[in-house]
Amino acid sequence: MKITRRTFLKISGATAAGTLMGGLGFDLSSAELYAQELRIKGAKETTSICCYCSVGCGIIVHTDANGKVINAEGDPDHPISEGALCAKGASSYQIAINPNRLQKVRYRAPYSTSWKEVSWDWALDKIASNIKKSRDASFMEKNAQGQVVNRTNGIASVGSAALDNEECWLYQKFLRALGIIYIEHQARI
Amino acid sequence: MTNHYIDFRNSDVILNMGGNVAENHPVSFKWIQAAKDKGAIFIHVDPRFTRTSTKADIFVRLRSGTDIAFLGGMIKYILDHNLYDEFYVKNYTNASFIVNPKYSFEDGLFSGYDPAKRTYDKSTWALEKDEQGIPKRDMTLQDPRCVFQLLKHHYSRYTLEKVSQITGTPVADLEKVYKTYGTTGTPDKAGTVLYAMGWTQHTVGVQNIRAMSIIQTLLGNMGIAGGGVNALRGESNVQGSTDQGLLFHILPGYLPTPRAQWPTLEDYNKTTPSTKDPRSINWWRHRPKYLVSFLKSMFGEKATKENDFGYPWMPKLDPTQDASWLNLFDEMYKGTFTGFFAWGMNPACSSANAGKVRQALAKLDWMVNVNVFDNETGEFWRGPGMDPKKIKTEVFQLPCAAFMEKEGSISNSGRWMQWRYKAANPPGEARPDGDIMYELFKKVRALYEKEKGAFPEPILNLKWDYETDGHFDIHKVAKEINGYDLTTGKLMANFVGLKDDGTTSCGNWLYSASYTEAGNMAARRKKTDPTGLGLYPEWSWCWPLNRRIIYNRASVDLDGNPRDPKRPLLRWDPSGKKWIGDVPDNAVPPMGTNGAYPFIMKPDGVASIFGPGLNDGPFPEHYEPLECPIEKNLMSSQRINPVVKIFEGGPDSFASCDPKYPFVCTTYRVTEHWQTGVLTRWLPWLIEAEPQVFCEMSLELAKLRGIKNGDRVIVETQRGKLEAVAIVTSRLKPFTIAGQTIHQIGVPWHFGWLQPKDGGESANLLTPTVGDPNTMIPESKAFMANVRKLTKQPAKKAVKG
Amino acid sequence: MADKSFFIDTTKCTACRGCQIACKQWNKNPGTKTFQKGNHQNPPDLSISTFKLVRFNEVVLPGGEPQWYFFPDQCRHCMSPPCKEVADTKAKGAIIHDEKTGAVIFNPKVKIKSSDFKEIREACPYDIPRYNLNTNIMAKCTMCFDRISEGMLPACVKTCPTGAMSFGDREEMLEKANKRLEEVKGRYPDAMLANPEDVRTIYLLADDPKKYHKFAVAMNPFGITRKMALKHLFKPLNHIRHLVG
Repeated sequence: MKITRRTFLKISGATAAGTLMGGLGFDLSSAELYAQELRIKGAKETTSICCYCSVGCGIIVHTDANGKVINAEGDPDHPISEGALCAKGASSYQIAINPNRLQKVRYRAPYSTSWKEVSWDWALDKIASNIKKSRDASFMEKNAQGQVVNRTNGIASVGSAALDNEECWLYQKFLRALGIIYIEHQARI
Repeated sequence: MTNHYIDFRNSDVILNMGGNVAENHPVSFKWIQAAKDKGAIFIHVDPRFTRTSTKADIFVRLRSGTDIAFLGGMIKYILDHNLYDEFYVKNYTNASFIVNPKYSFEDGLFSGYDPAKRTYDKSTWALEKDEQGIPKRDMTLQDPRCVFQLLKHHYSRYTLEKVSQITGTPVADLEKVYKTYGTTGTPDKAGTVLYAMGWTQHTVGVQNIRAMSIIQTLLGNMGIAGGGVNALRGESNVQGSTDQGLLFHILPGYLPTPRAQWPTLEDYNKTTPSTKDPRSINWWRHRPKYLVSFLKSMFGEKATKENDFGYPWMPKLDPTQDASWLNLFDEMYKGTFTGFFAWGMNPACSSANAGKVRQALAKLDWMVNVNVFDNETGEFWRGPGMDPKKIKTEVFQLPCAAFMEKEGSISNSGRWMQWRYKAANPPGEARPDGDIMYELFKKVRALYEKEKGAFPEPILNLKWDYETDGHFDIHKVAKEINGYDLTTGKLMANFVGLKDDGTTSCGNWLYSASYTEAGNMAARRKKTDPTGLGLYPEWSWCWPLNRRIIYNRASVDLDGNPRDPKRPLLRWDPSGKKWIGDVPDNAVPPMGTNGAYPFIMKPDGVASIFGPGLNDGPFPEHYEPLECPIEKNLMSSQRINPVVKIFEGGPDSFASCDPKYPFVCTTYRVTEHWQTGVLTRWLPWLIEAEPQVFCEMSLELAKLRGIKNGDRVIVETQRGKLEAVAIVTSRLKPFTIAGQTIHQIGVPWHFGWLQPKDGGESANLLTPTVGDPNTMIPESKAFMANVRKLTKQPAKKAVKG
Repeated sequence: MADKSFFIDTTKCTACRGCQIACKQWNKNPGTKTFQKGNHQNPPDLSISTFKLVRFNEVVLPGGEPQWYFFPDQCRHCMSPPCKEVADTKAKGAIIHDEKTGAVIFNPKVKIKSSDFKEIREACPYDIPRYNLNTNIMAKCTMCFDRISEGMLPACVKTCPTGAMSFGDREEMLEKANKRLEEVKGRYPDAMLANPEDVRTIYLLADDPKKYHKFAVAMNPFGITRKMALKHLFKPLNHIRHLVG
């Protein structure tokens, strides 16, 4: 007998009865064969909070013995999210494990058509020297009215709600010490 | 948010307007569903029928940019039908306050308007005070100059018919919403509003929220469980980044940034809010302590009484200077800056009029772009229409750690500060942002030590000692933010002990109590819930002082008893002389026993139905968006908000009532992407679910333009254009506005040319450079566009299963 | 472990697609290349890379207002899985019906001929089975067998924010489904449970199943009720017993 969608209901009804009579079609040994160890068994669990919207859902990140992320899912103890995550939160694993992540410092020289990879030290030295050059050239002690302003007019910054609180605070400290006043970020837009 | 996410479950009526909660804050819908399970009514008001609307008990449409008309009609309805909470209105709002006799409102203009400067002289909006300097009141609310009567008068024009003509919402739908929401005006009912960028991104953004705040105070819904005015913010730490002062106008903890007219600390402190009313706590009176403690956290031992605690080292804005986002990029476009940081941001796609931003980036000498993934800002020099050989800008792209690769805290919209731990190392050479900025500043300082340079004092004197064993230590910054008692070296218990004499330091007074001698409060994971209202006071920590619902003393009567016995947020225990429940919004005794007003951050101590401090009027008034489909504002002769700043020339141009751009357009987000898509477009699971930019339109408009579902179309405005796939849907419908048929379209702003290659461009190529006159948040939610079928449709590609 | 079932309450589903992605995350199934075709449903169908798919179906209600039905589609883990009946005649052990939980599992170790797969797919009243042409392996929802064996919830259920997805002992799920059906009848007079006696993935639908998905319920071409079928089907039952040995 060829079983098609058309005949399903017949079988289905039949098996409901069949089950009562003693377990038609079950195959215990095969199920045991298939059963496999839970992938995250013994993995290290680290609690985190989702990086996307502002609900603040709890995430548990599982890492293996090498410290590699192997799974990321909702934190069932979290009182707001109770283990839930939306499409974005549920995809957190692919942020960690993603061949397209930026992994090298890159530099694009003026008028260049391409990037080149550079070292952290080289880049930070050059940025620091650029900051000093821009700051020294644009620093204003007094404005047109003669009021003391002590500010750097030639540098601006946007960023960032993607930073942690501590980083945000440190970043504003960094920018204001340089005398920068054009300090903005996502909250404005 | 005045309240918090779990608190949605305590509501009887939930209004989501100016937002799309199910799509953009999906997990919070858990608590809306929990309220619905208990019988709550969920209302969604939006130009589009979205995933949120599918779960609404009441869904009604309105044209983008007409929220004040809609809400103004609700104010009138509440007043006309006596649905307001009289006790609350009299005792906890400024409804009884008397307004200056010179205040007036005529034909769209408030008193004091200067058409040349496009600004108001706000002095005629002041509240009258008696000889002692205490606001005059009429507790009968009958005085024709009291706020309540002025409110009645102002909104008498917002009839159902007039509102319907403006918004395009049928009268019956208006009535349904007004009536349902109006039921929450009794003490035993709670109504909450959830909004997002659908309210803020307008030239009347602040007044949209003000209009709802007026409704919430009329109905007694502020400071109670299940109530509040709740901004569902768009990013995981945009609350925190705002709290930490990453904006031109505020230092951490909402202290105003220093300005040129306040050269000394004393001058700055003269602007401290004050009141003569003994019943007003006016918490901001403590501001001088917070500023000095902040300066101590900036400059450490170098900040002394003698040098004004380093106040002279802080940069100062010109007296009225606005250095906000749109002005920043306008200045960049004009060539003001040589250097620029785009740190964890993608303005080439996220900024209004993104085309202008992309051109502006080419005027820089150098740019630092820190991000987790490559992005259109870092790559602007080889973007569409750019010739790298002609672009001088040096670009440094620094790879940073993602959230599970570093430790630190973030603050959600409910003000919960939650600690995250590090699960894994960042890939390759990527580093945590904190490490990057920490090292970078050390290099800058070394240069100034070696070579001197302009005004080196703030750089050389900055306290920059956040390391342990030679490595940057985020805990040391967290402690700096919490603050220290410098006489003992101990962490501050909270901000109450902060001083203005230099004996305390505190990076951000609002976050004081977050990391104390008892430990890192943000990392707490204990799930006790003594009130049963879902406050979870021992889970993480919440500012201020772990108070989970702010203004919570507005939930009790004059004797300190809960006005809603079913949801007792606070209760005064007369024998113990203390409050039981949430952390009280100031531990003073109840109002009836010589206590103080509940709105402690307001100088007058009460909620402002009349708001004399805003730039565009003390009452919200309907104006059309800068770009709108109708020649005349049906409310007055002022078509647009009379005080918006107009950017003109170059890449900034606008088209109102122009047959070339006949359709109202809005931008929005979908669940599967986030912001410009800078993260999500790189994640295969998400880009699979929402792969390409689309334009949603009604069946009627599609017919008019000969567009079929799935066709490629061009969407264009005066600023730019993009190609999109048409989604022709019954979920959008044309509006009848003042007798005309007006079509509405919408485009998500998650895309950009870089990734995926066939994903399409940013919707912000379309949006205008114009902002709210108070916040300068751009009007990305209502502008005029055209849509037409792309004449050459691409060959149909096979889709692999 | 007791007989298990899912209960999927579509009246609570907001189509956040958390389940669709959580399923991929747990199973490490790749994202596939897709295109915007004028609909938010993507990928367009279940596949060897997509065991769980939220289907979006827009309908216009009488009166002209839209409604948008969401159907988080997945294997029903039938009480008596016809796919297995067929598969057992083709390759022993290709489809396993776990006695304890009732999970219907495609054995990833057993290869199936393409022509046999077609028969297996055709047998499924819900059009669930999918097939990897390169490896000759069939694939679909596993009921997160590895997770539930350890007492964890299936990934899709765990991630669901609104309570649209539940999983647990079958009796409990049936009770929950019937209770919820009564609750929503007032608002949705046409609400129904989709083949609750026949499947372990029980959907609550607010409206005509066809408005959700072509295969939301099994078709009943003979115009007989399931009760009637039950009464009359001892003969075919014996017949099948023969077939499957």
